[in-house]
Amino acid sequence: MGSTKDAVQEKPAPKTQSRRDFLKVTGVGLATAFAAAALGCISVDTRDGRKVKVWRTASGAIIHDPNLCVGCRRCETACTVRNDGKGSAYISRIKVARNFNYGPNGVTAAYAVADGQHGNFRLVGETCRQCSHPACGEACPVGAISADKKTGARVVDTKRCVGCGACEDACPWGMATLDPETRKSTKCLLCDGDPSCVKTCPTGALAFYPWEEAEALLFGTDAVSGASA
Amino acid sequence: MSTTYGYTGKVLRIDLGSGEVWTEDTFKYKDFIGGEGIGYKILWDEVPAGTHPFDPENKITFGAGPLCGTGVPCSGRTTIISLLPTSPHHGAGSSHMGGYFSVEMKYAGYDSIVLEGKSPKPVWIRIEDDKVTIEDARWIWGKGIFDTMAMISSQMGKEAQVAAIGPAGENQLNMSVIRTGTSHSAGGHGGVMGSKNVKAIGIRGTGSVKVADPKAVMELNTLMDQIIGANNQMVAPSHPAPWAEYYSPSSRWTGKPGLFWGAANPPVETGECYPEDVHSIGKRTQKAVFDLGLGAEKYTVRMGGCAHCPIRCHSQLKVPQLEKYGMDPYVSNTCMGYASPRGVMFKGIKEFDGNGEDSSIVGTAIGATLADDLGMWCNYGQIGRDVKWFYEKGVFKRVLPAEEYASIPWHLLEKGDPRFLIDFYNRVAHKQGEIAHIADGAAWIAKRWGLGDDYWDAKENKLWTRGGYPVHHSNESAGQVGALISCFSNRDAQNHTHQNFIGSQLPINIQKDVAAELFGSPDALDAPSKYTRMNEYKARFVKWSLIRGRLHDSLTLCNWMWPMHFSPLKSRNYRGDLSLEAKYMTAVTGEAISPEQLDRNAERIVTLLRALNVRSMATTDLRHAHDAVNKWIVTPDKDKEGKVIPQFTPGTIQMEQADMDLGLGMVYKQFGWDEKTGAPTKSTLLELGLGNVAADLEASGLIPA
Repeated sequence: MGSTKDAVQEKPAPKTQSRRDFLKVTGVGLATAFAAAALGCISVDTRDGRKVKVWRTASGAIIHDPNLCVGCRRCETACTVRNDGKGSAYISRIKVARNFNYGPNGVTAAYAVADGQHGNFRLVGETCRQCSHPACGEACPVGAISADKKTGARVVDTKRCVGCGACEDACPWGMATLDPETRKSTKCLLCDGDPSCVKTCPTGALAFYPWEEAEALLFGTDAVSGASA
Repeated sequence: MSTTYGYTGKVLRIDLGSGEVWTEDTFKYKDFIGGEGIGYKILWDEVPAGTHPFDPENKITFGAGPLCGTGVPCSGRTTIISLLPTSPHHGAGSSHMGGYFSVEMKYAGYDSIVLEGKSPKPVWIRIEDDKVTIEDARWIWGKGIFDTMAMISSQMGKEAQVAAIGPAGENQLNMSVIRTGTSHSAGGHGGVMGSKNVKAIGIRGTGSVKVADPKAVMELNTLMDQIIGANNQMVAPSHPAPWAEYYSPSSRWTGKPGLFWGAANPPVETGECYPEDVHSIGKRTQKAVFDLGLGAEKYTVRMGGCAHCPIRCHSQLKVPQLEKYGMDPYVSNTCMGYASPRGVMFKGIKEFDGNGEDSSIVGTAIGATLADDLGMWCNYGQIGRDVKWFYEKGVFKRVLPAEEYASIPWHLLEKGDPRFLIDFYNRVAHKQGEIAHIADGAAWIAKRWGLGDDYWDAKENKLWTRGGYPVHHSNESAGQVGALISCFSNRDAQNHTHQNFIGSQLPINIQKDVAAELFGSPDALDAPSKYTRMNEYKARFVKWSLIRGRLHDSLTLCNWMWPMHFSPLKSRNYRGDLSLEAKYMTAVTGEAISPEQLDRNAERIVTLLRALNVRSMATTDLRHAHDAVNKWIVTPDKDKEGKVIPQFTPGTIQMEQADMDLGLGMVYKQFGWDEKTGAPTKSTLLELGLGNVAADLEASGLIPA
């Protein structure tokens, strides 16, 4: 099973730059950085003529603890009833169902002792990392994904979304999902800073961490995060 | 197609004989709510009287209701409806699975799936949203259920939810189950699948269940958080707790400081579980120690259960000793799933092979694994009592061929070595020898093996009626209330409406207060073992329980948690909210419905099942043909000196024949059935909108005079 670290190394280098790098490059950055913080995400021309996006860091991210998860999947409907007006596992922005029975690796000959309900009972839920350089947002051809002004979550503007699925293809974690019924992208929007899934979890297996802390957890031990397990 | 709320709007129909697949509009069944109600309606309209459960003409419905898939608490169960093979008149009945199957079915776009006909060869059914195919199953025929589910998931993708039968279902044992995930459908419909040559149904659904008023649903969920208790809606803890005014050692609210999921990594403490704390609801019920004793704490990986239910009533264990018996160490089950196989070892499970004090847990886990993988049903624990009776009374010796009898390792049973279970379950599930007929069910086996009144009337056998099913929260649960409820089904009554009421773990005076509010008098409920004679308030309690049972199996909500009579909160005066089903129904579907209207719809289903019994028994006299209890129930106990203890004296829970006769009549009256025979009257059928049922019965001369 690949660890988070392996997965990150395999991830293509981001085409955009962090805010600090950006400041070094352009030297005009202070005002721009404030603008990014205020607006969430701005697009700027560099000296060498490239277009880059500057993303405000998200306020936090949701982490799933496989050791506490009891697999009720109430988080999935808490997400989609609030945000989509319907119950659905497929478009839920937290993904528990897909690893539920047989773990992230799927069915193997050793399923009875592997991750999942049919194995060792270890349930690996996956959550959006609200990446510093979100592949979904970078891939969107119409700029429909931006950082939310309040939470910094990378959110989809469904009015602008054209349903091309570029974000779904781009996300290295398979989190952005095109709703087959609406042909609009769905991804974690942090519910205005009070995530519905976290509020609903009956064992506290989901927690909303400040972004830096979440990153540390996600990139550290694989005992904590579903996404890294 | 216009948007539908709650309902997906489609019933998937599959004719296995012709291979035809089509859908029909769910809303033509709307008067029957969903799930169980739709299943009975289809049986009435489409399956002729006299059909054998294993005939191609029989139909089997996998049903979900309008609340399933929306995240309403405890809404993940699947109701399976068909004729019951164990029933001596092949009456209609439902079996139920927990798990995640019905939610996936709804996300694929179907409120119900109905199978009919018989495939010429073994098949499995593959459903991916609107793509439905019938696939060759020769490669999985004969496999255990766990391997079957894995093999189908390897074809469909790891997200698939699979319902399957094992060898017991393939071999058309009357006592066989359909299983999904780690949940099985007690009730005996596995053989119906087997008779149709269907090994499994696999489903993947990428769709949704739409909710008319999402905000209202979320507000109701928040309200539920203050009302929901522990498993079986028990609202007081098993131990003194700083927040609790009351406690009761028999409570399933076992979570407390110092009690762990001991095999989690690292171990998880269940903790104080304050009732206001949403994030410990799933830790309230440490079911392993409740079902298997404190020794099970260290084997507990976590709790599990069904879709969208915060109460986790399945204990999921790692029992490394299982590997010595060629089994994987992980086992998940709950209640009778653990207790029944252990019951077969009626001489106890003793120390064997060095397992010491935990040999009972190891043996129980072995039994559960076997029954689950082979797909055997226990007839609510009857299988263990039957093995005991047939062994001790010499029935096995009399009816089994000598060679077969000699080949059975009885010495293992005598020793308490659970390897007896491995031999026993494999023989029975694979239909090897005469002993396999133990899975015909009590009614059929009594005929085949010439069992007389002594079998039916023995108190230790716990058989309720000649219908061949045993007690399930019967006279031990609120006297006549539980006793009468048990008379109206074709399998164990498995009604938890009344059981959860009396099992709330609150003091009897609070329960009596709520009983008075609901049924008009505190006399509707007697204190445990302090029974009084029948009264009309008890009859109302019976009616309420039967109606809400059918309501939940139709909505679909778990009747092991619903309805919400009580709350753990003193600030709510311990009151729950009995209009929650209707409130959720209104919020989810967008069509306002009152609790009274919803209950009336469920009453229609109760009476339809009653009419199905009139039809399958071909008599209006259900009082004598169907509802008559076995003698042990109405026989007074005797004390140590052999002196009769009269009924209705404190300490005895025995019923009395005249009182039961009176009670049946009172319940018939509550439902508007004929008070003499218990058959639905024409006027009641018409009032319930069951005109076609009235016409069919009238044509057959089956309307009471």
